[in-house]
Amino acid sequence: MKRFEVPIRVLFIVLVAFIAWSLRARAVEKLGIDFDEDDYLRAGQEYTHLIRTSNWSGFLDTNYRPEHPPLAKIIIGLSLLSAPEKDLIPDAPTTAEPNRYIPQELVQPARTTNAILGWLTVLLLAIVNPLAGLALATHTFTIKYVSQVMLEALPALTSFITVLAYLQFKKKEKTNWLITSGIFLGLTATSKYLYCVVGIAILIDWFLEAKSKKQVKPFLRQAMMWGLIAFAIFFIANPYLWTNPIGRLQESVFYHAQYSSSAEEVNQAGYPFWQPFNWLFFTPIVWHRDAFLFAPDIWITFLAIIGVARLWKRERVYVLWMGVALIFLLFWQTKWPQYILILTVPLSLSAAEGISTLWNQLLEWWKNRQVQQTAINKNEARRAIPWLVPGLIAFAIFTIFPLIFQIIVSLTDFNTASIRDGFQGGIWRAFWDGITGQLPISEWDGSRANKVRFTGLTTYPYVFEAIATGFGSGRSILFFNIMWAVVSVILQSGLGLGAALLLWQRGLKLTKFWQALFIVPWAIPEMIGALMWFNIFQREWGWLYLAADKFGADSFFGVLVQGFENSSSLWFASFLIPALWYGFPFMMLAASTGLKLIPASVYDAAAMDGANAIQTFRYVTLPLLLPLLLPAIIVRGIFAFNQFYLFQAFFYREGTLATLSYNIFNPSGFFGGGEFATSAVINIITVLILIIFVSMFNRWSKAEEGVVNA
Amino acid sequence: MRKISTLRQIVTQCLLTLLGFFVILPIWGMLRLAFDGALRGRPTEFRLFPKEWSLTAFLQVLDRPYQSVEFSVLLKNSLLVSFGAALFAIILGISLAYAFARFRFPARKQGLFAILLTAFLPPVAFMTPLYILLSILQIRTTLLALVLVYASFALPFCIWNMRAAFQSIPKEIEEAAFLDGAGDFQTFQKITLPLAIPSIGISGLIAFLMAYSEFAIGWLFVDKADNVTLAMSVYAIVQSQYSGGAQPWSYLGSLTIIMSIPVIIIFLIFQYTLLERMLFGSAE
Repeated sequence: MKRFEVPIRVLFIVLVAFIAWSLRARAVEKLGIDFDEDDYLRAGQEYTHLIRTSNWSGFLDTNYRPEHPPLAKIIIGLSLLSAPEKDLIPDAPTTAEPNRYIPQELVQPARTTNAILGWLTVLLLAIVNPLAGLALATHTFTIKYVSQVMLEALPALTSFITVLAYLQFKKKEKTNWLITSGIFLGLTATSKYLYCVVGIAILIDWFLEAKSKKQVKPFLRQAMMWGLIAFAIFFIANPYLWTNPIGRLQESVFYHAQYSSSAEEVNQAGYPFWQPFNWLFFTPIVWHRDAFLFAPDIWITFLAIIGVARLWKRERVYVLWMGVALIFLLFWQTKWPQYILILTVPLSLSAAEGISTLWNQLLEWWKNRQVQQTAINKNEARRAIPWLVPGLIAFAIFTIFPLIFQIIVSLTDFNTASIRDGFQGGIWRAFWDGITGQLPISEWDGSRANKVRFTGLTTYPYVFEAIATGFGSGRSILFFNIMWAVVSVILQSGLGLGAALLLWQRGLKLTKFWQALFIVPWAIPEMIGALMWFNIFQREWGWLYLAADKFGADSFFGVLVQGFENSSSLWFASFLIPALWYGFPFMMLAASTGLKLIPASVYDAAAMDGANAIQTFRYVTLPLLLPLLLPAIIVRGIFAFNQFYLFQAFFYREGTLATLSYNIFNPSGFFGGGEFATSAVINIITVLILIIFVSMFNRWSKAEEGVVNA
Repeated sequence: MRKISTLRQIVTQCLLTLLGFFVILPIWGMLRLAFDGALRGRPTEFRLFPKEWSLTAFLQVLDRPYQSVEFSVLLKNSLLVSFGAALFAIILGISLAYAFARFRFPARKQGLFAILLTAFLPPVAFMTPLYILLSILQIRTTLLALVLVYASFALPFCIWNMRAAFQSIPKEIEEAAFLDGAGDFQTFQKITLPLAIPSIGISGLIAFLMAYSEFAIGWLFVDKADNVTLAMSVYAIVQSQYSGGAQPWSYLGSLTIIMSIPVIIIFLIFQYTLLERMLFGSAE
């Protein structure tokens, strides 16, 4: 087997390279003209003209759209040398719609050049890790923005080379590699500043490495050199800076700060701060149906989440790269989708590790499969029959059959238009005729007929895309649902644990009273609690808004209301606060039950060792408590994932999958509705996601038993 | 552990007061509406206390809270549906719970996983098929339909919890009865069931509360005012506000408070037991 490893690898790399090129070539040809393409093409044209007329000094004063340094634009200019000379594309404000009339003869070579750079990135990555190469080759966002006249292709490539050279330096400790890394960092900066986040990641990794080897001083010296090289290259490769370095550097850097906070299009987009995550769940296939063959973006993201721990063990700097980039994008106010290209390389690497992780788990499961089978006592099994039969019949009728029926409905296009037919046996007829092949599959297209039709599985991809991309709006419902579950549980656990610790202090007065009071939100039915908060946050006559009216815009309430109105993210808080209120008592009770289980002797030992309160908490209480709390955290997490009444009480259609399903279903609701089959599909997707969560719960609660028994 | 110092006592009490304020805030908002007799529609100005203290809203709500339906009818519907659902869920689930608690049989593990999974599904996941199925059976708009729907939501949860209840009874007690010549069924009826009754009661209570406070899915099924439950009438008041309804917002306040008080009392009494149940015990 070993003998074939290298040839197979090479073959795979060639295959990846082939896939990468064909997808990019297709995109170059089929993508429509997008925002900014006219700008960068014009910038390129100016350089082409300078080169054609040998006007080299012109480079000193040419940089159309000076907020971005010139290198990537010069490359576009070079690519246009073979194209016929055309009039300069007219100057348009950044708010202008994409200019669809720019000449194809110019677009084609410029896009192709970018695509080649993008292809080189894939090739390099495939050599490092073929699976990661495959991920990047097929990632539609990456394909889109390296195959258009944008500035992404070059810095994406150079930033990756920066890391690769740094890693070589780390392994071989040869200065040449360090110099290479510095040069490419400089080149990255000369194309687009944003991609320099890679430098921060490298510095962190480098520092951690030096610290563990106790070589911080040589690190400082080398890092200084590396930074100076990068800066020198940035200056050398940027002729626009030569005549007025400080002024022009300021101009370009401050532009971004101002653009992100005041540009009209940025404000109009109104993206929440977590929008970068939404883009990771998105795919541009919804904008350009025929430019891409398929869109694995969301799966690459999921795999990357699974693989991140493994990647950290193998090559920390890639995880740091991804992390620094994400944190930067979360804080950076401009949220354009092309920005995620600064992290799609490490994302692909993490996805590759995700595949390995899953594969290993599958192997492990396969190996343990036989071991786990326990002997069945035949006598006992026979005695179980009279108990099992009636119970199973009830369970089958009330629980299993509805779920199976739901699958059947999901294979049709049943909706209010076909309601009469459906209730009179149309669902069964469509299903039966479809499954036996007597009826052709009519692909789901959102149209309504008065007879139920068999759509097979064609509704699923549509619905999945809709929830992943927020019906193409870029506000992912699926991501929101996951983020909602995670963030609200973290807050609830934090406050619950805090309250439990406060109440747990010995000699505290009024403990019983406080505990009784804090339980009340949990006891109030969720819907009523939600209405109580609705009564505060409602936009016209909520308490908060009435207070703002009464005390004026400058008062505390006024400022708060302004914040809610003007922020594209704060509305999230108006759900989080009620959820925190409703959920923390449960965690408080769970935590105080757990605290009672920790024996006092442990604390005596800690006290004898001279541990202070914080140390005791960090090293004694928390490690003992956490395994006891984990099942509670997962249970609350699942409940938060399924949260419905809160969003429904606030009349918010798309909070969670459950809320969306209800409102898509409800034939007499506010939001249209009556799409029974679509709702069924959403429910089945929910079930599939919950299978993962419940498996986690199963595993963790077993872990808890181990702890209790130990 | 030593007792805490006075300073720490004060700081802690301050923090707890702050948290208490957070807990009370929304409840206070509802209370001030409920006791305000001056309210004609929605609140229009900011007030910490009612403009005119009055019990009118409570009296009105206890008479006819929703359209012309009497409170007693709504309460009767609520109790009927909730008791019905809880009873159904327990009776239908009990034998399966016992089987999973006491016997080993093929595919037991997979069965347990299926029960746990279905217990964690949101009610909405069952709503779609049940709506269509009950429509086909032409009983969708009746109270019986609500009983069946809520029972179906609660069934997996009840099975899972009753299994835990049976497991907590020592097997030795059963074996003793067995040695005295009692059969499986007799042992269950005479020994195990009586011991497990309190635990099963709690499972039923949770099923009851689930049905008692459900409103959104109820509105999908029921279309006659006579078949509306209390929780559903609360939601109707909110919705009527959006369509320009005439009922004062104080009705909403008083009705939610009337609905919540019994539940709060139940939770205060059974807090730790309820917690344990809602944590799904521990899986095997």
